[in-house]
Amino acid sequence: MENWLSPLMFVVLLGLIFSGYPVAFAMAGTAMIFSIVGISLGFFDWNLLYAMFDRSYGIMSNGVLLAVPFFLFMGAMLEKSRLAEDLLKTIGQLFGPVRGGLGFAVIFVGALLAAATGVAAASVVAMGMISLPVMLRYGYSKEISSGLIIASGTLCQIIPPSLVLIVLADQMGISVIDIFKGALTPGVMLAGMYAIYIMIMAMVKGDAVPALPKEARSVSSGDLLRKVSFALLPPLVLILLVLGSMFGGIATPTEAGALGAVGAMILAFLNKRLSRHCIRETMIYTTKLTSMIFILLIGSTAFALVFRGLYGDIWVEGLLTNLPGGIVGFLVVANLAIFILGFFIDFFEIVFIIIPLLVPAASLLGIDLVWFSVMIGINLQTSFLTPPFGFGIFFLRGVAPKEIETSQIYRGVLPFIAIQAIGILMIIIFPELVTWLTD
Amino acid sequence: MKFLLKIASGIDSFSEKTGTVISWLSLLMVLVTAFNAIARYASKYIGADFSSNAFIELQWYMFSAIFLLGACYTLKHGGHVRVDLVYNHVSARTRCWINLVGTILLLLPFCCLMIWASFPSVRSSWHVWEQSSDPGGLPRYPIKTLVPIAFIFLGAQGLSEMVKNIARLKGFLPLEEQVDADAGEVA
Repeated sequence: MENWLSPLMFVVLLGLIFSGYPVAFAMAGTAMIFSIVGISLGFFDWNLLYAMFDRSYGIMSNGVLLAVPFFLFMGAMLEKSRLAEDLLKTIGQLFGPVRGGLGFAVIFVGALLAAATGVAAASVVAMGMISLPVMLRYGYSKEISSGLIIASGTLCQIIPPSLVLIVLADQMGISVIDIFKGALTPGVMLAGMYAIYIMIMAMVKGDAVPALPKEARSVSSGDLLRKVSFALLPPLVLILLVLGSMFGGIATPTEAGALGAVGAMILAFLNKRLSRHCIRETMIYTTKLTSMIFILLIGSTAFALVFRGLYGDIWVEGLLTNLPGGIVGFLVVANLAIFILGFFIDFFEIVFIIIPLLVPAASLLGIDLVWFSVMIGINLQTSFLTPPFGFGIFFLRGVAPKEIETSQIYRGVLPFIAIQAIGILMIIIFPELVTWLTD
Repeated sequence: MKFLLKIASGIDSFSEKTGTVISWLSLLMVLVTAFNAIARYASKYIGADFSSNAFIELQWYMFSAIFLLGACYTLKHGGHVRVDLVYNHVSARTRCWINLVGTILLLLPFCCLMIWASFPSVRSSWHVWEQSSDPGGLPRYPIKTLVPIAFIFLGAQGLSEMVKNIARLKGFLPLEEQVDADAGEVA
C-alpha cells in the first residue's frame, strides 16, 4: 500500500501547486488530506501531527534562518531609498563613454544587489524597471538588453549574501559561511563571463551596445567624481564590509546582516533619503517577504512530516540511490529534476520541496554538499532564463515595454544559457572553484 | 451576505492593523540585533557587557512574531507566493473558485491543525511558567502562545477571503478586483 501512497501524495501536491493556490497552503493542505488517508489506513496516528508544533518552534528558534530578515531589510532599504538606482546610473556614467558600458553597469549592480533579492521575480523586475528603459533609450539592442537583465537579475541569487543561499544552507545542513564562500568564486566567474560576452559584442557589433552619446554623459569629471564617491563607493563598501566580516569570522551572518541593515539606513540618511515613506516601505516589504518564506517553510514541514509518515522518504531514497551510474546518475537526475521544476517553481519552493528529498541520498553517495548546493544554484538560475518557460523571462516580460517582442527576449537569453552551461561544466571539471575558499 | 461581508471587512482591517504594527518589529529587530553585535565586541575588547541573554533571545522572538503574525496580513495582500503559470491565464471567475476551494480544503484545515497541535505544548508551558534555559533569558510561554494566535489570525483572514470569494462569485462584489493587485511588488 505504501508503495503508491507517497508517490500519489507527490502528484497531488504538484497538481495543487499548479492550480495557483499559494504554495505554502497547497503543501500544508496536501499534508492534511494525506494524513487523514494515512490515519484511516493505519500507517500512523494523530499523535504524529502533534510534532508540527515542535517543528514550527524549531523554525522559530533556528539560528541560521534568523539571518534572512536582516539581509532582506538591508536590500530593501538600498532599493526603496533608490540608492540602488543611483548606483546603476553612476556606474552607467562611469563606463558610459565606452561601448558596452551600461551593460557592465547592469552586471555589476546585479552582483551587488544579491542581498536585496531572495526571489527571482523581485530582482528581475527591479533590474528590468531600473535599467531596461535606460538601455533602450541609448540604443542598446533589445535582445542583448533583455538577456543581460534576466541573467544578471537571476545571478544575484547565487552571489553571497543572497537569501536563498542561507535557506539552502539550512536545508542542506551546512554552514551559511561555507555556502557563501563556496558560491562566491563561481558567482563572480559567471558575472565575469557575462562581462566578457558584452566586451566581445562591443568589439564585433558595436552598435548593439553603444557608448553613451556625449550629451548624456556627466557634465564634468568633478561631478562624476562626486557621484562615484557618494553613490558608488558607500554601498560597495557596505556590502564588502558585510561579506568581509562574515568571511573573516568576525561576525555571524545574523550580526553581519543586522549591521548591514543599519549601515544601509545610515547611507540612506546621509543621502537624505531616509524618509518615513522609505522606512515604512522597507518594513512592510521585510514583513511580507519574511512571512511568505517562513510560512512556506512551515507548510513544507507539514508536507515532509506526513510524507515521511507514509514512507515517502524511503521511496525517494531508494529511487535516487539505485539509479544506474551511481553518483553520476544521481547528479544527472537531480539536476534534471531541478532544472525542469525551475521552469515553474521559484528557488525557495524548490529548496523546501526537493532538497530535503535529495540530501540523504547525496550524503549517502558521499557528495560534497557545499559543491552540490552551488551546482544546484547555478543550475536553477539557468532554468530561470531558459525559454519558453523560464521564470525570469516571464518577469521581464511583465515589465518590458511592448516594443520588445517575446521572441527577442528568447533570442537574447540564448548566449547566456551557453555561458551558464560553461559555468556548470567548469565547476564539474574544477570542483576547486567551489571548495578552495572553504578548505 | 451583507452581514458576512461586514464581518469580512472587519477581519480585513484587523489583519491590516496587525501587519502595520508587526512591521515595526522588523526595524526594532534590526536595531536590537545590531546593538547586541556591538555589545558583544564591547565585552570582548573593553570588558563591559551591555548585552544579555534576554536581548539575544529578543532577536528570534521578534523574528518569530514577524513571520507568524505577519501571515494574515501577507494573505490579505496576496503575498504568499503562487505558481501562476495556469492561474494567470484563467478567467477571474475560475480564480475565485481556486481561491475559494483552496481556502476551504487547504488553508482552513491547516490552521485548525496548527491550533490543535500547539494546544498541549502551550498549555504545559503556561502550567510550569516555562523559562528560558539560559540564565537571564526570556519566559517561553508567550512565544509559544504566539503559534496558535498566529494561526487563529490567519484562519480568520482565510474566512474573510472565503466570504469575499463567495460574494464575488454571487455578484455581490466585482469579479475582477483581486487582492493580488500588489503581488508583483512582493513576489
